[in-house]
Order: sequence, then C-alpha cells, then structure tokens
Amino acid sequence: MSARAVTSKLSFLGMAGRHNRVPSPYPWLMPVILVMGLFYLYPVVDVFRYAFTDLTLLGGEGHYTLSTFANVLTRPELLQILWVTFVFTAGSVIGQQVIGLAMALVVVRSEKRHLFGTTILRTTALIAWVVPGIAGGIIWKMLFNEAPFGGLNSLLRLLGMAPVQWLSDPDVVMWSVVLSNVWRGTAFSMVVMYAALKAIDPSLYEAAEVDGATARQKLFFVTLPQLRPAILVNMILITIQTLNTFDAIISLTGGGPGRATEVLSLYTFNVVFRNYDLAAGSVLSIVMLVISLGLALIYASFLPKDEKA
Amino acid sequence: MKLRTRDRLGDILSYAFMAVMFVFFAWPLIWLLSMALRTRKEVFLGVSRLIPKYPTLDNFVAVLTSSQFPVYLINALKLSCLSAVGCLIIAAPAAYAFSRFEFKSKGVWMLGILAFQMISPLVIMVPLYRYMARLGLIDSHFGAIMVYIALGVPMVTWLLKGYMDGIPKSLDEAALIDGCNRLSVFIRIILPLSTPGVASAFIITVIAGWSQFLVPFLLITKDSLVPIGVGIFQYAGTQNASTIQILAAACLISVVPAIIAFLALQRLILSAMTAGAVKG
Repeated sequence: MSARAVTSKLSFLGMAGRHNRVPSPYPWLMPVILVMGLFYLYPVVDVFRYAFTDLTLLGGEGHYTLSTFANVLTRPELLQILWVTFVFTAGSVIGQQVIGLAMALVVVRSEKRHLFGTTILRTTALIAWVVPGIAGGIIWKMLFNEAPFGGLNSLLRLLGMAPVQWLSDPDVVMWSVVLSNVWRGTAFSMVVMYAALKAIDPSLYEAAEVDGATARQKLFFVTLPQLRPAILVNMILITIQTLNTFDAIISLTGGGPGRATEVLSLYTFNVVFRNYDLAAGSVLSIVMLVISLGLALIYASFLPKDEKA
Repeated sequence: MKLRTRDRLGDILSYAFMAVMFVFFAWPLIWLLSMALRTRKEVFLGVSRLIPKYPTLDNFVAVLTSSQFPVYLINALKLSCLSAVGCLIIAAPAAYAFSRFEFKSKGVWMLGILAFQMISPLVIMVPLYRYMARLGLIDSHFGAIMVYIALGVPMVTWLLKGYMDGIPKSLDEAALIDGCNRLSVFIRIILPLSTPGVASAFIITVIAGWSQFLVPFLLITKDSLVPIGVGIFQYAGTQNASTIQILAAACLISVVPAIIAFLALQRLILSAMTAGAVKG
C-alpha cells in the first residue's frame, strides 16, 4: 500500500485531519489506551474480583466468598509482615532522602568551590543505581558473607573489630537489607535534589546575604523551604519504589532468617506462587495498593496548594 | 581572613564527606571485581587480597564458555531490545498528541498514565500469570515482551512528550500549511527531530528490561528461554563458597552492559529523569 493510500485510509480515523479541523487525539492515544487497559486496568479490576473468591492457581473456577478477606486480614503473621515492611520502607526512604540531600548539597558547594571529585562521586553512586536488583542482592550477599573472608567482616577484622552476623542475626538483618537498598537507591534522590537545588532562584541567597544570614540560616530558611515540594515528590516516588522492592530482597535474604525480612511484596509473592493461593494473594495485593495510594495522598497533602513547583 | 579559614574548613569537611560516600558506593563494586579476578584459593583470604596476587580471567572464561550463560545474555538482549522498540511504537503517537493537541481532560489522561506506574508489577502479575497460562503464553518470549512493554509505556510516553515539547510548534504549522497531514508531520518532521529523545527513551527501556526479574521469573520456566536476571538468580541458588568467584564473574558480566549503556547516555537520561521529578 502506498503512503498516500495509508493516509487516506487513516483520514477517516482523524489521524490525518487537516490543520483547519480540530484533530481528535484519541486515535493517537489508542495504542497506549489498549496496552494500559489490557495489562493494567483489566488485571487490577480482576484482582479486586479474585479477592472475593476462593480461587487457587491449581485450577478450578472457584466460588464467590467473603471469607478470604476475613481469613487473610486476621492471619497472625500479617502484623509482623506489615511491621517488617514499615521498618524496611521507612529506613530506606529516610536513608535515601537524607543521604541524597546531603550529597547534593555537598556536590553543589564543591562545584562552586571547584573542588575535585564531584563527578567521580556522582558517577559511582549512579552506577550503583543502574545495577539490577537481583545482581545488587547477590553483590551484597558476598559482602555480608559471615565467613572470616567476607567482604565486610574481613574489613572489620583488619580494623580489629569483631565480625557481625549480617544476615543470620534477626536483629541485624533488617539493617543489612536497608543498607543495601540505600546503596542502590540513593543516587536517584541525589540527582533529584541536585536538580532542585540548581533551580532555586539565586537572588534569594543574595537577599539573605544582604540581611547578614549565616550559612546555617541560609540552609534552614532558604534552601530547605525552597526544596520542600521536590523533597515531597521525591519521597512519594522512592516510598512507592521501596514498597514494591522485591528482587533485591529475594536474592539477598529470601525473606529470612525466619520471617525477619519478609516484606509485604515478598509475602504476597510467596502466597500466590509458592502456596498457589490466588485469592489470598489478591487480598494482599489490594492491601499493597491501598498502602501506596494512602501514602501518596498523605505526602501530596503536604504539597503547597497554590504553587505547582 | 576568618572567612578564608572557614571556607578551608568547609572544603576539608566536604572532601571528608565525599570520600566516605565514595567508599560506600564503590566498595561493593570493587569487591565484586576483586572476587571475580581471584583464584579459588585467594577467595578465602578476604580483604588482604583485595588486589589479587595471582589475578586470573579464568572465571570470566568459565562463565562465557558455559552452556547456559551466553544463552541467558542473548535472551536478555532480545527481550529488552524488542520490548524497547515496542514501547516506542506504542508511546510515540500518544506523546505527540499530548505534546501538540489541546483537548479536554488532557491533564487527567497524562496523570492517569503516570499513576499506573505506582502499581506494583507484582499486583498485575497475579492475574496476568493466569491469563498467560490460559493463552498458552507461558514460556514464550512474546508474552513476556508484551508485559515488559506495558511496564515501560508510561515512562516512555512522558519522556517523549517532554522531548517533543522542546520542538517548536511552528514547524508543525508550516508543514500543515504546505499541505502535510498530521500523520506525515509526525513521521517526517517530529520523529526525526526527536532522535535524541527517542534514543534516550530506548536506552532507558533497554536498561529496565535488562534488569527485569519478576516478569520472566514467573512467565518463563524453560532454562533455554530465561534472561540473565533470572538465570543468575537460579545459578546463585546452586552455588557454594568454593564457586563464589565464578558467581562474581557472572554477576559482573550481567551488570556491565547496563552500566556502559547508562554511562554512554548519562546526560540525556539524567535530564529526562529529573525533568519529570522536579516539575512534579
């Protein structure tokens, strides 16, 4: 078919509308709408439907029932799973935000002072960010190796310190997992904070200087208030990312020891694909959706209303 | 005078902080490289052989000449490249419409597309696994690629829209007056001018596809079809302390392509990323 024939065929779809007509966007949006509808919207609707059944992955049509909901939400392990998820998410998000902001501040200051090493630091952090989750888990498992030749324990021994049971001590393992997640995720926060810092109007600092503000006052009364919207948006993004983290944990601890690092996403995975309990997994999926949505709304309510920074 | 000593002190603190952070980010990668270059004996010597006395490339040779790993790498390349192409084909027209047309509820559509990205891939994989099983698309690359595409479309749409916003609308208008229709404006003018944006969106999607684990882990069970992320996870599960150096080499080989692709287009990717986050 010639190009002319294609365009004349498409013209009735509105794709080839002339400039004097208002073109309809929908033919252009159609592929995206179809893909999102088939692979996101329809499955999400189905998750809600499954939650009210007793379906399993082993086959069978299942029946509609409310008991799955009641059963899942009263499971004794659920509270522990939620607590583990909370500690992991809060630890990772706070760690990434604080370190990312600190790095961005230092990098901006160092660039102004022409100090050496800012590009190297930024690139190294970003390389860690590009490492796939599974590989990240495997790398940190080597570092956390508890044998005397492990990547961190042999370093500690060199410094004359006692070895740490990074992955087998239930009280330590969560912090090991948070550490590995902060390693992989911080570069994103750093880049966002860096861009936001660069976007602050320099005349604000000039005004502060005229008023005789100290460096600390400039940080607390100019920089941080100006960064507020960017910090909130960044927190939304990394919170959701952390809640959905799955591959980095499954390859580092597999959720263990016991249930010490079994976060909600890993638990959901185990319920559906290890216990084949599709209905219970759907209830847990809804819990995940509700948590992400709730958190996003809470953060968003802190955003300044009038200025869409 | 006092100001200068204060600046000096600040510089020293900055250097100290940057040094600590550099060690934190670099140490795992240095350790991985060190392990991958060691012989089995030196693995047990820990940090004292950070620079191996008898460095060897045997571990890399062992990985690349094994029967599975080259297959895993090719599978990963195929899945990530084809899905990136699919993503672009689906997202580019929508990006053009979002960039050029004014229509009701445009903002709602754009936010809606972005909001989908907040949904954990795990949530949609629960029912998708069932559909794919019914359609007989388990153990097919086609099924996995379709899901990869869906996961990538929201971001690619936003990235391309952002890039196309930077192309002057007067170009469209001039072409329309000359008798081009919208489709040929899009194909002949906007797409060629968007090449840098398209390239960075392509690379970002390829990196995301390369890192993909959950989707192929669930949809692909046959060892000959598995991409590197799943392959290395299963390999790691069968290893013990005496083969840790081979696992390190395999891990390094799986990570390096993503790093190189990223470094090559770092500037473009970063500006695309931050544009979205800072604009809010």
